[in-house]
Amino acid sequence: MPAIKPKRNYPMMDMTAMCDVAFLLLTFFILTAQFKAQDAATIETPSSISAIKVPDKDIMIISIGKDGKVYFGVDNQQTRLAMLENITQTEGVQFTDKQKKMFSLQANFGVPIRGLSQWLQAGIVNPDKMKEIVQPGIPTDSTAQNELAKWIYQARRANNLLRIAIKGDNVAKFPVFKDVMASLQAQNINKFNLITGTEAPPAGWSSDK
Amino acid sequence: MSEIAQGGGGGHGDKKVRSKKASTRVDMTPMVDLGFLLITFFILATTLSKPSSMSLAVPDKQTEKQETEPLKASKVLTLFLGKDNTVWALDRLAADDDKAKTDLKKVAYGPDLRTLIFQSQAQVDREHGKDEKGLSQFVCVIKPLNTSTYKNVVDVLDEMTITKSKRYALVDALTTSEKELLGDKAN
Repeated sequence: MPAIKPKRNYPMMDMTAMCDVAFLLLTFFILTAQFKAQDAATIETPSSISAIKVPDKDIMIISIGKDGKVYFGVDNQQTRLAMLENITQTEGVQFTDKQKKMFSLQANFGVPIRGLSQWLQAGIVNPDKMKEIVQPGIPTDSTAQNELAKWIYQARRANNLLRIAIKGDNVAKFPVFKDVMASLQAQNINKFNLITGTEAPPAGWSSDK
Repeated sequence: MSEIAQGGGGGHGDKKVRSKKASTRVDMTPMVDLGFLLITFFILATTLSKPSSMSLAVPDKQTEKQETEPLKASKVLTLFLGKDNTVWALDRLAADDDKAKTDLKKVAYGPDLRTLIFQSQAQVDREHGKDEKGLSQFVCVIKPLNTSTYKNVVDVLDEMTITKSKRYALVDALTTSEKELLGDKAN
């Protein structure tokens, strides 16, 4: 008589349901994910222990590149269009509909008002090359030519709920930041946010709020 | 584990050769693994990439000069942010003080600066006590020089949060005596 071989019963689990759940969640996360828009310049922000998150919408971001160039951007395409419309009226520059459309697709820009139309046209002709065009930055220095102040004003006219955030590069020099602050203060904007990375607070530190 | 094909069980006594039914079941385990891996990736990618922000409030621009009580130098720590990540600190002294020249200290960012602020804070609290609202009377004046970077400013503002110094001012103009004191360090 042969030895009785116990028939091995492998525990079995139906994975189908779990798989369904996993992919359902995956679909949800992919759809809700916000993809990073293409920025005009890469900016490495300093980090702070601050835990306040940057708001997602109704935000205007003034970026300061490492070479001191200033870029400007608002989050919403409608706001961008309305802002451009305001600028056309006050500055007497004209844009074609295609250029306006192109402008509304740009997350931020660093081109003076006079060169804007040319820059947008170049983008329409060759969208892939647009990233490679070196942007000179928005003039901020002298009071008469302070285009940044104009943009801020027109953007706020387009959407007065806009919050203002400044995103500066680690190595950007202070005078540029000072000019940006001055443009804001000149319009009685005295409270704004500085976008920073997150770092852990020192051991034992606690916020006393 | 899901199903593992088992062959060779029984069939010894059977004379009839039965065609073996192929199982239609698919092992879902790797697929579930992959699904959850991607979920993890998307959760982390959306939440971790969100930068934080610090709020900065600057004083109203004043069209008419208001008469305010001048700040006592003995309550003030002045920080000049210079080039190459150095801070020149003037602890509880006015810039035109005789001792200012010798007392101007060079500090590095990080723990050194923090210790200095804490020391100065403690000293001011000892000498002056709290004000009528129960707040410390310590004031920190931050003067970024033109050679300092944006990172320096953010670092110092961060130190203000860490040391819980509620009263600080970001001032960019240097007085004549301060210019004299700093000399070529300001460039």
